[in-house]
Amino acid sequence: MGRLILTVDDSSTMRQMITFTLKGAGFDVLEAGDGVEALGVAAGKKLDLIITDVNMPRMDGITLVQRLRALPEFKFTPILVLTTESDASMKQKGKEAGATGWIVKPFSPEKLLDVVNKVL
Amino acid sequence: MSPPVPLVHGRASKYLDRNFNRQAMKILPGEFYATAEDEVIVTVLGSCVAACVMDPIAMVGGMNHFMLPVKQGERDPDVFFAARYGAAAMEYLINNLLHLGAQRDRLVAKAFGGGKVMRGMSTDVGGQNVDFVREFLRNEGIPLWSEDMGGPYPRKVYFFPHTGQVLVKRMESTHNDTVLNRELTYIQEVVGRPMNGDVELFT
Repeated sequence: MGRLILTVDDSSTMRQMITFTLKGAGFDVLEAGDGVEALGVAAGKKLDLIITDVNMPRMDGITLVQRLRALPEFKFTPILVLTTESDASMKQKGKEAGATGWIVKPFSPEKLLDVVNKVL
Repeated sequence: MSPPVPLVHGRASKYLDRNFNRQAMKILPGEFYATAEDEVIVTVLGSCVAACVMDPIAMVGGMNHFMLPVKQGERDPDVFFAARYGAAAMEYLINNLLHLGAQRDRLVAKAFGGGKVMRGMSTDVGGQNVDFVREFLRNEGIPLWSEDMGGPYPRKVYFFPHTGQVLVKRMESTHNDTVLNRELTYIQEVVGRPMNGDVELFT
């Protein structure tokens, strides 16, 4: 079985693009539309990586990272933030929440896969 | 730090529009502007498209102006990947609206442009932009309230975010060189630039 990645983004267009890129590289992919859904999807799963957007309804990506880090099973799972936010203070928040890395959209498929392979 | 996409918020220029007695923000290809003020957002479109997105209850709205960086003769998968630019252009606008107090489930859109105005281009660049914006909005569940897209003319668009009203002027000449040159410069900039935002690993 391939490695399992959860991608979290409120834009279904963006989710499709991320999933297309990851599946093309042989990964298994789960999707969620916001932080709340992501916590539900992640529960009880063995995830190898989580990729999340920041600005989402119900629960934003930074809060999601904090919540995941508070769970023993995701304490050390790599979490990448993939967002249009490039503000240094926002990045700092992501880092403090426990994110592994920060990627600013738009992403190139090659670069995304490069970063994914680095953190896995 | 280099900007992730040529979506420059700050380069847009504001002036007092005497016809509408309002502050007017003129945006160029690659730019976007979102506001909660009673202003008018103006742009001139050739084959580019502009999405006017608003939350009519929060009375915030904004406009972007973009095109997909598709090189002539490229195949479908490349069109798919080029859509990342369009998706990012839409997301930048939508995120700014949310920051201004809009709610995602109340967003509605109007879309303009995508004319077939570029001479010497075998690919229908405008048509690809039109397809993209329609599909994006459908995908995201954002209702497309009205549109004026396609056809052989450049357009001048005035968007009033407070009321959601849009005035579209179809321009006579398809040989409007200023519009075409701006779009050509923009598309060359986009195509020539690596499609990468910044990456930072914290560990």
